[in-house]
Amino acid sequence: MSKIELVNICHAYDVTSCSNLPDKQVLEDDYVIKDMNLSWEDGSANALLGPSGCGKTTILNIISGLLTPSYGKILLDGRDVTRQGPEERRIAQIFQFPVVYDTISVYANLAFPLKNAGMKKRFIRDRVEEIADILDLSHLLSTSSGKITQAEKQKVSLGRGIVREDTAAILLDEPLTVIDPKEKYILRRKLKEVQKKLAITMIYVTHDQHEALTFADSVSVNRAGEIIQTGSPAELHAEPADPFIGYFIGSPGMNLLDCSLKDQRFVFRDFTYPISAEMAKKLNGTIDRCSFGIRPEFINPAGADQAGAVTMEVDIIERLGAYKILTLSRGDTRLQSRVPDSFSVEEGDSVAVSFPEEHVKLFANERRVY
Amino acid sequence: MGIIVENVSKSYGGKKVLDNVSFEAKDGEFVTFLGPTGEGKTTLLRIIAGIESPDSGKVYFDDRDVTRVAVQKRNIAMVYQWFVNYPSMTVFENIASPLRALGSKIGKDELQERVMATARLLKIDELVDHYPSEISGGQQQRLAIARALVKNADFIFFDEPLTNLDYKLQEELRVEIKRIFKKKSKGCVLFATPQPFEALTLSDSVGFMHRGRLLQYGDVNEVYHRPNSVNVGSYFSHPGMNIFEAPVERLEGKTLLKASDELVFDVSHLAGILDADRYILGIRAHFLSTGSADGATIPFAATIELDEVVGSNTELHLDHQGLALVALLDTIGDFEPGMEITAYLNPQKLFIFDADTKKLITRTGSH
Repeated sequence: MSKIELVNICHAYDVTSCSNLPDKQVLEDDYVIKDMNLSWEDGSANALLGPSGCGKTTILNIISGLLTPSYGKILLDGRDVTRQGPEERRIAQIFQFPVVYDTISVYANLAFPLKNAGMKKRFIRDRVEEIADILDLSHLLSTSSGKITQAEKQKVSLGRGIVREDTAAILLDEPLTVIDPKEKYILRRKLKEVQKKLAITMIYVTHDQHEALTFADSVSVNRAGEIIQTGSPAELHAEPADPFIGYFIGSPGMNLLDCSLKDQRFVFRDFTYPISAEMAKKLNGTIDRCSFGIRPEFINPAGADQAGAVTMEVDIIERLGAYKILTLSRGDTRLQSRVPDSFSVEEGDSVAVSFPEEHVKLFANERRVY
Repeated sequence: MGIIVENVSKSYGGKKVLDNVSFEAKDGEFVTFLGPTGEGKTTLLRIIAGIESPDSGKVYFDDRDVTRVAVQKRNIAMVYQWFVNYPSMTVFENIASPLRALGSKIGKDELQERVMATARLLKIDELVDHYPSEISGGQQQRLAIARALVKNADFIFFDEPLTNLDYKLQEELRVEIKRIFKKKSKGCVLFATPQPFEALTLSDSVGFMHRGRLLQYGDVNEVYHRPNSVNVGSYFSHPGMNIFEAPVERLEGKTLLKASDELVFDVSHLAGILDADRYILGIRAHFLSTGSADGATIPFAATIELDEVVGSNTELHLDHQGLALVALLDTIGDFEPGMEITAYLNPQKLFIFDADTKKLITRTGSH
């Protein structure tokens, strides 16, 4: 198991290699991966999360050795492996579609990487049985791989990755996409269990925040070839580094309103809201125009008696069982608020909302400033 | 205009896909058919729309029998799971096409006006000169909805319209659909989905489909709060309802349901209607927690199997003495599989089902 580091990785498909770090404008215009620096600790569970087309697969191929980056280094436990191929790096990859040999047994599939490595028969048997036990595949060892379910096949793919004790890391590329919804939970749980039990470095690549946040202890959010934030699921939710993460993580996403700061008030298009002396002091002179962010669960719609509470109309109520999502409006401004199901409200009602300051995030030029 | 469906059945090659389905939808209603894929929802919509005919049974629009009336004469519109638009026409022409199909009845100015008003409603008015291939998946589905809306059909059918969108777009379009149809003054919307929260948020009435049969139909709040069986209750819940067995113990004048030595529920107040020796209990995940909100909850020891982060919530999968339970928490917490915790359950929120027939008998408290 290994620590993996990306150092100044830049990649453009038409640039085989360049001797200097390209400058910012060139990266912006021509590169799919733009000066990426990341490190994944030995034995950690990680995810790389981002929308389709953000360069996730390119990074995976660079880590596994299928692709040599135009610039930058990949380190495995501090060793530079940038010029090594996939075999030498011993990084296993699990894809959307399970990769197993259908005509041979589950046992033979799991034994294959060990046979290739020239291991002794006795060792192979013990190791395959051990891995099969971890993956709950023991009862299928003599079954032909063509006769098992997609979820079981995906477990066999994973087994082929972890069966070699010298595997440095496992890369998972949307591994649950083709799995039957009913079986996804089993696999989701198994992946996490195997990662912890074997303390193997895993990097899970997906566009699905549910998969990423459930699997990983550390999630890196990728947009257009750049990592915009790395953190635990709770950190990404509570302290988003930019408005995109605020919106993308969480459901519904963070409310984002354009505002300016004037005379100790937030000035929105359709109303104003007071700023405490303490917060005003912290912000003093630093920004005048920004994007005001607050999550729906922190908008308190029962705050008529609170200083500065804003009266808004309840446009839409969505009931979700445990709670309700209210779409509130005033003029052209819309906000969403999450309230307990027991909160009594009808469409068309007026409510007074307040924005608890401890949950307010401010963004300027797409970066968090408060 | 309302809909009455009477004893409709349909088979394909000997396999019954609809089995004696009956329901009534009033003018102006938003009706959702909920259930797993392949249980007859699409076939039911297609029969009401007139794309297929039933083997037996009748369909009425108000009091007019339309069972044998061709689809073209029913004034309906359809929105599918896949975004169905004309690739060679602009967004404008796509929206205009259902109006043009009506012939010369609509003047040029009116056409322009109706197309643009519909485009504005779906927030695609700035894209009218683009072609479908130039706009995003979410916008393509907005376009398909615009085409369904523009001709003022009496009935609009949605067959899993959000299924192929990513979750952020689903979230946005769900609110949008709710907003648009809040004001529908005539006719009905019929919406098929496998997603319980879509049924819950959008519908006036909901029908639960299972193996071609309509297991329960009624006001959405009534079905949600009084699911008539384990089947309906466990599915019409997000996440799925916790279901487990509990034997009855009668002790010193008390009637207890014992799911485990910790999960013991005093149901003496219901003793009069509980005469069997065991029941199936159901409880929604948000009535289980990791903190005791008030003194009324029952603590129990559990091991965390997996913490799933879903939206802004955590679905905590628990093992309690071999019993699999899920708690829905309204935060993103820091948990690890294998952690031993004390969880809490609110005994006022239990559904009690008959162990043999799986039918709802009663609830423990008010829900």
